[in-house]
Amino acid sequence: MLAKLALNSLIDRKGSVMLSLMAMTVSVFVLLGVEHIRHQTKENFSSSVSGVDLIVGARTGSLNLLLYSVFRIGNPTNNIRWDTYKDISNSEKVKWAIPISLGDSHKGYRVLGTTKSYFQHFSYGKKNPLAFSDGQEFDQVFDVVLGSEVAKKLGYTLGDRVALAHGIAKTSFSVHDDRPFTVVGILKATGTPVDQTLHVSLQGIEAIHIDWQHGVKVSKGKLTQSDLEQAELQPKSITAFMLGLNSKIATFQVQRTINKYTPEPVVAILPGVALSELWGMISILENTLLLVSALIFIAACLGVSAMLLASMRERRREIQLLRIIGAPPYILFLLIQLEALLITLLSFFLGAGLLAGSLAVLRDYLVSNYGLHIEINLLSDNSLYLVAALLAASTIVATIPSFSGYRKARTISY
Amino acid sequence: MAIKLADIRFHYSDRPEHTVLNIPSWSLSSGDQVLVHGPSGGGKSTLLGLLSGLLTPNDGSLTVLGQSLNSLNDRQRDQFRAAHIGYVFQQFNLMPYLNAIDNVLLATRFSVRKNTNTIKEEIKTLFQGLNIPENEWNRPIRHLSIGQQQRIAIARALINKPQILIADEPTSSLDQSNRDAFMQLLMPMVTKNQMTLLFVSHDQSLSNYFTNIQSLNDFNHIQGQE
Repeated sequence: MLAKLALNSLIDRKGSVMLSLMAMTVSVFVLLGVEHIRHQTKENFSSSVSGVDLIVGARTGSLNLLLYSVFRIGNPTNNIRWDTYKDISNSEKVKWAIPISLGDSHKGYRVLGTTKSYFQHFSYGKKNPLAFSDGQEFDQVFDVVLGSEVAKKLGYTLGDRVALAHGIAKTSFSVHDDRPFTVVGILKATGTPVDQTLHVSLQGIEAIHIDWQHGVKVSKGKLTQSDLEQAELQPKSITAFMLGLNSKIATFQVQRTINKYTPEPVVAILPGVALSELWGMISILENTLLLVSALIFIAACLGVSAMLLASMRERRREIQLLRIIGAPPYILFLLIQLEALLITLLSFFLGAGLLAGSLAVLRDYLVSNYGLHIEINLLSDNSLYLVAALLAASTIVATIPSFSGYRKARTISY
Repeated sequence: MAIKLADIRFHYSDRPEHTVLNIPSWSLSSGDQVLVHGPSGGGKSTLLGLLSGLLTPNDGSLTVLGQSLNSLNDRQRDQFRAAHIGYVFQQFNLMPYLNAIDNVLLATRFSVRKNTNTIKEEIKTLFQGLNIPENEWNRPIRHLSIGQQQRIAIARALINKPQILIADEPTSSLDQSNRDAFMQLLMPMVTKNQMTLLFVSHDQSLSNYFTNIQSLNDFNHIQGQE
């Protein structure tokens, strides 16, 4: 009955209630959005690489190396020589090595040159290995394996021909269109940057760059098959490589050895350590965002309370009537609290719905522009805590008008 | 005795020098139907406030249905009021945004009886007895005419089967024909349920519905004040 009273009373004052509700909805949207994306981003990043003990690249900051080698964000500062890769990966402590070569793209998706060991050893999430939804690993020089996102967005199927472009811009003027690649495999979705990557062999990368110098095509002539066969497709340099070690205990020792490698300045990083370094940097921003959105929510709560408090004046007669039919003063306290609670709950659902809708719309944009896979499902343990916190906050703030209602009810004299 | 006042004195706390009520002795027997009139500002509302238990006298004893209101605490007085006293006012008898049934149901919420289904049956019987058309039972009060609202107000006042009904200028906002219709519905209900009726009004034309007519000034002795 009290709930009915609260609900109908709110509907009766729909003008001011709607405005408060909208303010509250927006604040919930912001708060929930920040929290959700924060959570998802972290999960996303953490699940992008697993089982890799060390990542080795040209000497640079560990974050930079992590970002470009795993997340395809930013650009490699320098390449490392093939000999260096061979030398380090042949060490007896190394179980497997995945060389990666970046720098080309296809319609905005990055191309990764690697070897077959990528498909055998690279894993994501909780040590999930890569799996094919269609086709198999590359075998020929001009074979390409697509990430699921690439295949889906660009509508490629097995056997399609793909021309790679030099550089990583979405529209490139230097397309390697004289040497198209054939799609031989499509990977299952992983929810990691792998989905946005085209994988070719290192030899493929070399092959398309024959006759290219400093990013420009130097000969206009078409290469024949025999030209290619004559050319030595042995790569001279790669961007970075990932290592799996025989013994985890040796990780630091191997890292130290690599960092002291004399023929060339290289650096080895532990992905986990670099990730937490990343979190350390991001968390300042994250916490600021969270704080701001929490403050917005508090402001909206205060708005609701102000609205309820202002309504107390016009509701003198209601209070009087309730008292006359025997309602004790605390009922008024409960009634106002209930109204605040209803507004909060309703705006929570509205805000969550709005967020889910926005995410559904923005999803593709986030994936293709930021490589962020944001789940639309907002329900997690965290979100339950969040609801509890929101309700608690609104209840606390609504104490002000509720108490005013209680006092009015106490002092009302027929 | 339905109501018994002895040596009652009352002043509002913000104006201690201004005594509003000074009633040495006044009482109503069970089943009495009394019309009390007095000038506005003459302490009518204050008297009703005391009887309802929303106000407490500064002095004197106040007994309703044999229960001394002085000895009850706030919560008990609220419960006592809900269970034993029905009210009909000049206006704002009902929550404007609730429908008729919910308004009456709300009034049962604070008394002891709980079974909603039996109560709903009782409400329907009451509505039928008060000639309230069925298509108006579920409409928000604010869409109903004032005459209709006053009938529902009677139903609301009677639902808890109070022994005492207090009517505070219930006909003042009604026109002549509605007023007569209201009185002709109310009086038989009161008689049938053997309730004590305390009817406060300045409207002299209601006198023919009552045999016991009193003026507040006759038993409220305020002297030397404006």
